[in-house]
Amino acid sequence: MVKIGQFLMKKTSKLQYFMIYTALFMAVAWSIYPILRVITISIRPGDNLLTESLSIIPDDWTFDNYRKLFTDHPFGTWIWNSILVTATVMLTGVTLASTAGYALSRFRFPGREASLFSLLVTQMFPATMLLLPLFIMLSSLHLINTYLGLIVIYSSTALPFCVWSMKGYYDTIPYSLEEAARIDGASRFMAFYKIILPLASPALVITALFSFMSAWTEYIVAAQVLWYKEMFTLPIGLKSFQANMNTEWGLYAAGAMIVSIPAIALFLFLTKYLIGGLTLGSVKG
Amino acid sequence: MIEYFPSHLIQNFKRSLTFLRQFLVSVLLLGTLLGAEKTTLHLWHPMPAPSRAVLNDLVAEYESLHPDISVHMLYKENEEVRMAYMSATGFTEGGPDLLYGPSDFTGALVEMNIIKPLESFFSEDELAAFDPKGLTWYQGHLYQIGDELGNHLALVYNKRLFAEVGLDRPPESLQELIEFGKKLTIDKDGDGVIDQYGLVWNFTEPFFFMPFYASYGGWVMDEDQNPTLNNEAAVKAFKFVRDMRDIHGIIPKECDYDVADSKFNTGAAGMLINGAWSWAKYMDSPHVDFGLAVLPVNDETGLFPAPMVATKGYYMNPYLSGEREKQVVELMKFLTGADAQFQYASRLATIPTRFEVRERPQIAEDPVIMTSIEQVSRGRAMPISPQMRAIWDAMRPAYQNVLGGSMTPEEGAAYQQELAVQKVAELYEGQDIDQDAVNISAILVYLGGLILVIWALYKLFVAFILPLVRGIPGVQVQESRFGVLMVAPAALFIFGVVVYPFFYNLVISFSNMGLTTVNDWQIIGLSQYGKVLTDSQFYHFFLRTVIWTVVNVVLHVIFGVMLALLLNRPLPGKGIIRVLLILPWAVPSYITALTWRGMFNIDYGAVNIILNKFFGIEPISWLIDPTNAFIATIITNVWLGIPFMMIIALGGLQSIPQELYEAASIDGATAWQQFKKITLPLLKPVMIPAITLGIVWTFNNINVVWLVSNGGQPGDQTHILVSFVYRAAFNLYRYGYAAAFSFMIFIMLALFSVKFMQKNKATETAY
Repeated sequence: MVKIGQFLMKKTSKLQYFMIYTALFMAVAWSIYPILRVITISIRPGDNLLTESLSIIPDDWTFDNYRKLFTDHPFGTWIWNSILVTATVMLTGVTLASTAGYALSRFRFPGREASLFSLLVTQMFPATMLLLPLFIMLSSLHLINTYLGLIVIYSSTALPFCVWSMKGYYDTIPYSLEEAARIDGASRFMAFYKIILPLASPALVITALFSFMSAWTEYIVAAQVLWYKEMFTLPIGLKSFQANMNTEWGLYAAGAMIVSIPAIALFLFLTKYLIGGLTLGSVKG
Repeated sequence: MIEYFPSHLIQNFKRSLTFLRQFLVSVLLLGTLLGAEKTTLHLWHPMPAPSRAVLNDLVAEYESLHPDISVHMLYKENEEVRMAYMSATGFTEGGPDLLYGPSDFTGALVEMNIIKPLESFFSEDELAAFDPKGLTWYQGHLYQIGDELGNHLALVYNKRLFAEVGLDRPPESLQELIEFGKKLTIDKDGDGVIDQYGLVWNFTEPFFFMPFYASYGGWVMDEDQNPTLNNEAAVKAFKFVRDMRDIHGIIPKECDYDVADSKFNTGAAGMLINGAWSWAKYMDSPHVDFGLAVLPVNDETGLFPAPMVATKGYYMNPYLSGEREKQVVELMKFLTGADAQFQYASRLATIPTRFEVRERPQIAEDPVIMTSIEQVSRGRAMPISPQMRAIWDAMRPAYQNVLGGSMTPEEGAAYQQELAVQKVAELYEGQDIDQDAVNISAILVYLGGLILVIWALYKLFVAFILPLVRGIPGVQVQESRFGVLMVAPAALFIFGVVVYPFFYNLVISFSNMGLTTVNDWQIIGLSQYGKVLTDSQFYHFFLRTVIWTVVNVVLHVIFGVMLALLLNRPLPGKGIIRVLLILPWAVPSYITALTWRGMFNIDYGAVNIILNKFFGIEPISWLIDPTNAFIATIITNVWLGIPFMMIIALGGLQSIPQELYEAASIDGATAWQQFKKITLPLLKPVMIPAITLGIVWTFNNINVVWLVSNGGQPGDQTHILVSFVYRAAFNLYRYGYAAAFSFMIFIMLALFSVKFMQKNKATETAY
């Protein structure tokens, strides 16, 4: 098989490289500058949100805030709680979305159109208005102060997009692949599991990332459901540094940076698979 | 008969909601409650970190005295703790045993019947030990026991900066405040940008404007709680603040709470007006030599500025009884007791509510507490009736319009009065209703609901149950079962969560549920929808929301796809670039959005500095001018949304077989032709779902607008529909109105999506 890279490389001249890098450099500067500001706040002593200096590293920088997170607050526990909740949501999201998306892509049953549309419909109601009834529901189900309630809600917020995105990707994979597998004697499920799913890995990556992110930084629902500090997930833990007109900005910024590290790590890990799906595309066309 | 029948139906309605709940209980009964042998008492509070430390120590002491009791504290922000308490106690009869908060919670909590009168738990002698200001009575009952008089504003000044310009005392009149302010306003390096301001404070917020209004003889309401905002005092006070900025130049053009706080705390401002809650921080600051003074007298009227003073203290859950109630009362007595108050006062310089504690030498001789008590004696009690909230909401836009220059002080005064009257009426709407009309509409709504449910069940049957049993025409039964079973788990998950909240809102949107009718709301028909549709603001904000959505999504997609195309090739350093580009998605938006707000500051924000340095553009007032503020929110949201679209596009590009490009380039197609004929059409099936959902999410994205514009500022002009409904409805407890408003948003989005999907054939592209 010809490596696509080699093929494209022939076409990219030095000038083009220069232009591409210039464009990417500008994009990177734009994307990271505000985050550098957050880092500045996190390593600056005293709780100031704003500064008049443009320098990224203040003269009197210190890692005190990062230390305080772990010594004065159960930050380690919160990280663990968050990982627990988020990993479950991610697994649920990927499993349910990959199966549902597949069925919606391959089968023509009467409720198909309606299902697809109603997935979208669930996203249309302003979320702030759903909070009160959700709380009433969870409370009568005795799901307050449990992770189960949180996980169910997070999964259901992430799923509509995930299902749609999986379905969209399955649509680009030709039928002939499963048919060939079926003729060789594979069951319907095996054909899906062994042939189609691996091909859809870019979509699985997107699904995983999306379900991860929608659970990882969420705090509004979590704040309603969890009452015990020991049970907090990272975002509500973080929120507890924020007070109306009395925010501990240093801790808040340091916490936010730590919250992003697992997200970045996961992304680094998953990108491998973002590129993995293209080997069999040649069957189409 | 007719009269009896409908109210019965209404009962049925509520019952069917309960039934739905119980049904879900039986489906999902997996919850575990934290069981404990000890009695755990719950206390919710909005105390900032320094007071929290004292509370923790006090509770630890109490627990060691009472080994059978453990007290669990939960911190939430002021507004959040109020909302959470209302949901938990008002709607589920749960919630914490004790609620701590400022006295202005009282009115609304009493209207909703969710706090307990306390007079029977205290003897007269016990109550006599308190300053009467520390006990909150409302409509003849005692509802709150205070442990602190607080929240009052006073003048904080930096003695070091005062000494630098030869001043050795705080100003004693407003005239002097301006004089001193001018001396302290300094452009150190002569570049035309002021480096040190004379005075900073959160002057765009009405609470911080109140003392000046009072110093001209004005007050927010009369004895009957009617707003009194259109008068000479308001006009003069508006002018006074505006002149400090525009004529005397002693305060920054743009100054919200965080700007003021940061400037003073880093020694970049001589004076600061801020509340009792904040002083401890400045005492510790290495850049501040702390001084505290009362707000100086108004020379013109001879009156002192009167800040609002709130009692802070404990409220009790009304559903307590028996042994637990006794335990809670005892805990409350401990937390408001002399020793507890002494702890707060000695560590944080708060004003105790017990006379005895105030007289202890350590407290009585503390200079900060002495000034603080003097300031409180010149202040006025924060009104505790629910009307106050409506008045704040009316003052904010009027005042900010005056400061922004779109209204004269006279117009502003008239406008805030008019708005306040309207909002107070909205607060108490739904009380007088026409019972006949109510009965008829209840029947109609009930029938409509019934038809809807039957229709939904029928659809469900045809869509899922039938294929399961009989199969899909043209497909084997086994096959169609497989299909249904693959979809079912996800569908159950999603709809299990959504169905109840959706129907709840649907029912509420036909009701008069509001502050005074939380417990006995009735179906009143379509009148909430009528209110939404006859409000011209609805259309105004609708248009704005459309612009917001279109601009955002278009820019997300263009930049996202562009970056994905650039990255979709072998490129040294690609991995790192990709991660750096994804960062705006990975870092929590609630902090980056606030950082962006800081970057839009007119004088010191990075945006203006960069525009000025590289393009020579004059400073733009991003946050004062409504249009610019709106652009600022869009810029922030574009920044936040690009990485998501980029990732989707990167994923989508992987599904395009490279052979197509090879073949095309052999045929002599240009890069642009390849992009148009191959990339775009094949990217579409993956991008369309993301775009459709992106539109829906952006339309309903409240966070960024809220954080960057600080809740719709200036003057409630930066809203989109969702943030408007949140502000207008939740601040005034208009549950029915908010539900109807939300349904209008929902219907518009649904209609749009149907059209959009038909046009793009989003679901069928690949075949």
